[in-house]
Amino acid sequence: MDRQYNDLTVRVSLYMVVTFFHGIFHEESGYMIKTDVVIIGGGATGCGIARDLALRGVHHYLVEKGDFANGATGACHGLLHSGARYAVTDPEAARECISENAILRRIARKCVETTGGLFVRLPGDSKRYRDTFLNNCEEAGISTEVLSASRAIDLVPELNPSIEEAVVVPDCSIDPFRLCMLNAFTSRHKGGGILIHHKVIDIVKERGRCTGVKVLDRFTSQIKEIRAKIVINAAGAWGDTLARMGGSDAPMTLSKGSLIISNHRLTNMVINRLRAPSDGDIIVPNEAVCLAGTTSIPVDDPDAIEVDPREVDLVATQAEQMLPRFGTTRLIRAYTGVRPLLKAETSDSRSISRGFRIIDHKNGMFSILGGKLSTYRLMAEKTVDAVVKEFGIKAHCKTADIPLDGQDELSGYPLSKRLKSIDNIVCECELVDRAQVENAINSLGIQYIGDIQHRTRLGMGPCQGGFCTYRALGIMQETGRLTPDESIEILKQFLQRRFRGIRPALWGDQLREEQLVESIYLGILNMGQQA
Amino acid sequence: MSAYEYDAVVIGGGVSGIMASLTLASGGFKTALISRGDPVCCLSTGCIDVFSHSDEPLGGIRALLPDHPYSLVGEKGIVDALCFFLEIMDEAGLPYEGDPGRNRKILTPIGSTKNTCLVPQTMAHADMSPGEYLHVISFQGIKDFFPSYITSRHRNSTYSVYDAGVPTTLGIAARFDDASFLDAFITWLRGLEIPHDRVALPAVLGTIDPASVMEKISQAIGRKIFEIPTLPPSIPGLRLFRAMKRVMQKRGIHLYWGKDVTSVERQGRTVEAVTLATTGRAKRVQGRVFVLATGSFVSGGLFAGRESVRESVFDLPVTVPGERKDWFNTDFFSGGHGIERAGVRVDRAFRPVESMIDNLFACGSILAECEIMSLQCGHGLAIATGVAAAKSCAQELS
Ligand SMILES: Cc1cc2nc3c(=O)[nH]c(=O)nc-3n(C[C@H](O)[C@H](O)[C@H](O)COP(=O)(O)OP(=O)(O)OC[C@H]3O[C@@H](n4cnc5c(N)ncnc54)[C@H](O)[C@@H]3O)c2cc1C
Ligand SMILES: Cc1cc2nc3c(=O)[nH]c(=O)nc-3n(C[C@H](O)[C@H](O)[C@H](O)COP(=O)(O)OP(=O)(O)OC[C@H]3O[C@@H](n4cnc5c(N)ncnc54)[C@H](O)[C@@H]3O)c2cc1C
Repeated sequence: MDRQYNDLTVRVSLYMVVTFFHGIFHEESGYMIKTDVVIIGGGATGCGIARDLALRGVHHYLVEKGDFANGATGACHGLLHSGARYAVTDPEAARECISENAILRRIARKCVETTGGLFVRLPGDSKRYRDTFLNNCEEAGISTEVLSASRAIDLVPELNPSIEEAVVVPDCSIDPFRLCMLNAFTSRHKGGGILIHHKVIDIVKERGRCTGVKVLDRFTSQIKEIRAKIVINAAGAWGDTLARMGGSDAPMTLSKGSLIISNHRLTNMVINRLRAPSDGDIIVPNEAVCLAGTTSIPVDDPDAIEVDPREVDLVATQAEQMLPRFGTTRLIRAYTGVRPLLKAETSDSRSISRGFRIIDHKNGMFSILGGKLSTYRLMAEKTVDAVVKEFGIKAHCKTADIPLDGQDELSGYPLSKRLKSIDNIVCECELVDRAQVENAINSLGIQYIGDIQHRTRLGMGPCQGGFCTYRALGIMQETGRLTPDESIEILKQFLQRRFRGIRPALWGDQLREEQLVESIYLGILNMGQQA
Repeated sequence: MSAYEYDAVVIGGGVSGIMASLTLASGGFKTALISRGDPVCCLSTGCIDVFSHSDEPLGGIRALLPDHPYSLVGEKGIVDALCFFLEIMDEAGLPYEGDPGRNRKILTPIGSTKNTCLVPQTMAHADMSPGEYLHVISFQGIKDFFPSYITSRHRNSTYSVYDAGVPTTLGIAARFDDASFLDAFITWLRGLEIPHDRVALPAVLGTIDPASVMEKISQAIGRKIFEIPTLPPSIPGLRLFRAMKRVMQKRGIHLYWGKDVTSVERQGRTVEAVTLATTGRAKRVQGRVFVLATGSFVSGGLFAGRESVRESVFDLPVTVPGERKDWFNTDFFSGGHGIERAGVRVDRAFRPVESMIDNLFACGSILAECEIMSLQCGHGLAIATGVAAAKSCAQELS
């Protein structure tokens, strides 16, 4: 066992065969795994906790029911906040953001694109708000620079020419999926166990204390048991469900937010509206596309959410006011995620604090609630502080000082750097070639098409996998990873999911392309008739 | 501005516009065809679906509602139009086979079968009886064609891979136009000593005369051969388009290709001319009658905004199925999406209703209620309505 581990470490099962880079854990048969801490949830928070525990030498397992970033993390806007957005409404969150923003730029270079951000003031937007904004940013330690309209337009030519002025802040664009993967990488590297596609179906309890979890392996349908001294509930919007399984509860307010993606990168900087936070007032560039959002609508069930076409219209109309081309550009997809917010009395979900809270359920379970992607590291730090205190050991947090491992193997931004061989392009939109797909399949043991997409960006571009998914699946069945029938079945599921994503934004050129995709799958391949 | 004068001006060079102009030209009318670009036919399998949703095409058509464009053409009109199409293809040197009253099967790249009606000769042998042995030929590095999809679904089947030196369907097809490449391929194929009844390959048997290429291979190895249409870019679709274009040129139809109609001149209830965007000065094309065949959303004949659907040349009234949320069902595979019924509504003479224009006719996938996707009737409907609209024009002209 790794010498770095202190004597608390309980030996992990001997049956462990191999943990791949991406953490698909292979073992011979169902049995019991023992560890110190089990983390539920492979979003930014859970992965951040895994890394923090690893750097402090505490043995742990992380279980995630889908792929990394399956929840809010993967559905978010990808904005590494400077804190300016919260400067007026939530000064404490603003301070947390700017300090974490600086840390992440340092430790997560390959996940963060230092775009900078603009807050633009349109005719009619309050000048008083702008003054408070500048003042509060200064108090929170967020640097600002006020630009005239013409200088702002020099920076972002697509800006609405009638803006009054703009304020530069250190906002960044962040890749949430990569962030999770790299945090998990450190954990794996130090001997932690990462089980993705493993769903917690029950919490093991002994005399009222949580002593482990039962997980269902979604590949093999096997049930496994992981015993631990402490269970950390980082299940985001599903946190209350898991807390209840453990015999307690974790009250939260769930708020749905929807986003739309344009097929062009219309801006190289993050664009915010300089006014009180409202629907559709942020646009974030992300690789070849832009994300605009969001809405904020209270929901009850995190599994029953859908984008309403009216949300799409709302966000598009707002985004258009800042970048007029948003009104004419093709929208390639709409999607929605659920914010796990702290429970509050107010009914307006936008005014609820974006702060976080750690609950010690006093039964061996800790829940980490609320927060945001930008502060995931701080949330992890505070959670692990509570855990090591419980264990009675002294180990300080190192996550702010050590850069994320595994970044060297990743290509960075921008897109063009990924282009290696033109001949064997599988995905034309995102320039993913056959070698990358084969590599993902062979060396990483990836089974789900979604997993390949996350790791290679296959199918994330304008065609949204309409053309390349068929190709990727064909390659997968040729390599023997899937039978031909399985791969067709996965293709069907993929098309169904993809359609759900683009349906709310179907008009204009996107509708045109959708009809083309339909003609291919339902016409040329006749997949509708066989269903 | 220079002006040109025709009896009939057809806008849109898809299957429907082409069939309309050929019909008009056969009637002795001076005809022009204007098209912005190549039609969706080039992306298609090249096979003519008449009504593939049911096994018996004419039976399916009889059951349609009276406002479906097929019902406006009538059964006899449909059969006559399809026979006219078969004659055209014989003349073009790309003979088609099939019986308008009966559907047949072709093989898809994922090993399923698909109903269609008229097929190029190279797909005539795709209608296999169960239990027959099949050998599939694939090509090194070819995109979008995975023979194991086919062999896994057909019990008695195997496959081999040939290295054509290029990976694209277009590249391979161009190689097959070359006799020495074909000879080398045949030598390789003979060496395989295929014991199977039939040999299938992706549709790459040359760009011009696939029937001869097929015949040569078939004779050399003594097996029946057929092509499997691939995903776009599709060679059989391209062949069909090019063959039709050859006949149009032969018949003296004036082609304005790569030209976009940008404006329309009207005098009362009559369209007098359309203007084309060209790189030099604008061109004015004058006609006594006009045929609108600009296709559906894919070709830009129709354009969907956030709230409504527009017809792009004449801004004709368009039938729209409800609000945007009703345009698409939630199930991708269900078909029958509301948006399939969007389009220009026409009367029995194929005149757009409520257009306030007397010398305008419409045909093809731009028509309302046609439900091409769920009924699987693309080219068939384009042929039938193209010919029918042209016949109305002819009546108007004489
Ligand atoms: C639309 C939207 C936009 C946002 N934009 C931003 C932004 O731009 N910047 C920012 O900083 N923040 C943003 N946020 C907030 C941010 O996304 C979240 O606060 C953050 O990602 C939460 O991470 P998490 O790991 O706590 O939760 P999640 O990412 O939701 O992770 C919880 C994980 O638990 C897993 N899980 C649940 N149940 C089980 C089970 N039974 N067994 C195993 N695993 C289970 C889920 O699959 C999920 O992966 C946004 C949120 C939304 C909804
Ligand atoms: C991918 C795909 C595969 C298909 N496969 C099959 C198949 O295998 N079998 C089958 O039967 N059907 C198939 N279909 C359906 C079939 O192709 C169409 O329904 C049919 O060919 C439509 O013909 P059309 O003449 O109405 O229009 P289109 O083929 O759409 O042609 C319209 C033409 O008008 C031109 N145009 C548009 N606007 C202007 C303008 N303003 N000025 C000048 N020109 C203009 C366009 O450039 C285009 O060339 C397929 C469709 C698709 C999309």
